[in-house]
Amino acid sequence: MSDADSDSVSTQTSLAGWTDVTAQLRQNATSRWGLYVIAVVIAVAVWAFIDGVLLGYHFAETYWHSPVTADPGARSLLPPVGITNEFGTGVWAHPLGTDHRGRDILARLVYGTRIAIQIGIVATGLGAAVGTVIGAISGYYGGWVDDVLQRLVETFYAIPFIVLMIAIMSTFGRNLWIAIVGVSVITTPVFARLIRSEVLSVREEEYIEAAKAAGVRDRNIIRRHIIPNSLAPVLVQATLQVGVNILIVAALSFLGFGAQPPTPSWGAMLAQSRTYMLPNPWFSFWPGLAILVTVVGFNLIGDGLRDAFDPRLDD
Amino acid sequence: MSLIRYVARRLGQSVFTLLGVVTLTFLLVNAAPGDPIRIFIGPSADAATVESIRTKFGLNQPLHVRYFRYIGNVLQGDLGQSINYRVPVTQKIFERLPATLLLVASSFTFAVLTAIPIGVLSAKQRNRFSDHVFRILGLVGVSTPSFWIGLLLIILFTYHLGLLPATGLIMPWAAPAAVDNATTRIDVLYQSAIHLLLPTLTLGTLQMAAIMRIERSSMLEVLNQEYVTLARAFGVKEWTLLRKHAFRNAQLPVLTVVGLQLTTALGGSVLTETVFSISGIGTLIITGVNARDYPLILGTTLFYATIFVVGVLITDLLYAYLDPRISYGGGDD
Repeated sequence: MSDADSDSVSTQTSLAGWTDVTAQLRQNATSRWGLYVIAVVIAVAVWAFIDGVLLGYHFAETYWHSPVTADPGARSLLPPVGITNEFGTGVWAHPLGTDHRGRDILARLVYGTRIAIQIGIVATGLGAAVGTVIGAISGYYGGWVDDVLQRLVETFYAIPFIVLMIAIMSTFGRNLWIAIVGVSVITTPVFARLIRSEVLSVREEEYIEAAKAAGVRDRNIIRRHIIPNSLAPVLVQATLQVGVNILIVAALSFLGFGAQPPTPSWGAMLAQSRTYMLPNPWFSFWPGLAILVTVVGFNLIGDGLRDAFDPRLDD
Repeated sequence: MSLIRYVARRLGQSVFTLLGVVTLTFLLVNAAPGDPIRIFIGPSADAATVESIRTKFGLNQPLHVRYFRYIGNVLQGDLGQSINYRVPVTQKIFERLPATLLLVASSFTFAVLTAIPIGVLSAKQRNRFSDHVFRILGLVGVSTPSFWIGLLLIILFTYHLGLLPATGLIMPWAAPAAVDNATTRIDVLYQSAIHLLLPTLTLGTLQMAAIMRIERSSMLEVLNQEYVTLARAFGVKEWTLLRKHAFRNAQLPVLTVVGLQLTTALGGSVLTETVFSISGIGTLIITGVNARDYPLILGTTLFYATIFVVGVLITDLLYAYLDPRISYGGGDD
């Protein structure tokens, strides 16, 4: 740490503040629940990635139900355990019921977690990183650089996310990596704007002036002073943005622009369930609940982080 | 900087943003694989027919020629000819516009009218039971996929209770003869209202929750300030304090969020219109993309972006008007 850093006080979070933040996050009951939920969801997603992507559903097919093909003899559109509909009575073998092809809904939910988390976290990370750099440059230099970058950022901001994503996915193909790049593209402006406004206030701090006077190069001032001191709101926004992005991914899959069948994804399950809502409403219920719980988890952590960083609103 | 210069500057910026949108969407749709003409007339057509249609729509010219011609046409209010519908894109947009406007306006009204009182109440009752209920409501509202809410509402109100229709939208000004179960204007208004109810809740919930959350935290922030404590110490009644001292000052951050929610609402209209089979601009975009109807995609996207840019511009100007502390140049001059 350079001397200049030790000047950053009060409103900005110093490195020592980070331990306080994590401690506070654990103490706060609601954000602790958020941490639990997300820990479970991420563990499930990691499992889904290992078995689904790396092992080609080996474990699911050997010991449980395949999320992509129906078990021989499995009945379709079964309701959850203990409930009866025109297709039969729910059985323990399929605790949440089966879909229109007789596939186990729980298995599809579990393996669908991967898409949501993978896109949610990777795309948010990419978008936050690129947006932070753009925002920092824009805010630090000001002038025409700022003008050009801001118009660029606004261009992406002006098109509704869903519409822009549909355009991107239909142009470059409907696959996972395009989706990740697309979601990070629509995430970038959010962070560029956020960081820019942070930088505008940090830029005026005395230690930046001191660093300039000491002959530190612009690039190093941005990298070593401006960005670290603007990071607290980025972390809050990133956590909340993962939730937003999971909703966007689900919406895209719902419209048919996401993961292509038979890959399990929550949004696609909801789209498939539309035809069968009348005989088996549970088919529509579970995937939405999975999305809701996951996004609530990220939002709880995000809200908790915001409270931890912002001493004014102590509960 | 004077107000006029500020307005001029913001207008100029908006024009550049829209130019960026046109360029971006133009490049995107032209990078897309798949031949729109082929999709349109089918694979069996002979090469000569394909070529003649291609020439007719100007698709045989180089990219930059088409780009500048498109910009020129847009400036004259011409968004081109829809390949899929064989009518001008503007005609198609204005045909579909009323449904989308009705939906967005009604969900926005619902969101603002419910969210602001709830947010204020929540802040006033901070950490009491009702506050916890409202906070959970807000949290769930911003975390729920809107289209799922739509599906659940259809399951409950249409399938189980048989109370409300699940498809289509009826304009309040439609001719009674053209509307099912309607002979008088009152019938039309009734049909319009019951058709609008579920889509409004579907699209409005997210907006409501987002505005409610910012209203609450903004009110809390204001209520924490010294002048409020001072007023309280002077014995100003709690409700008067809320109404006269805190409320007005707390509305600026809310205004920003309401402005930004406009883009969420426009984007959300694509989903809501799909769920409720409403012929609006949202479903028009989906049709355009599936048919590779370039002029239609470009036109609708540009139209949505224009609404958003104008919305943000109005928010900014309102902001500058309402908050005397803001210098028109912002912090960047």
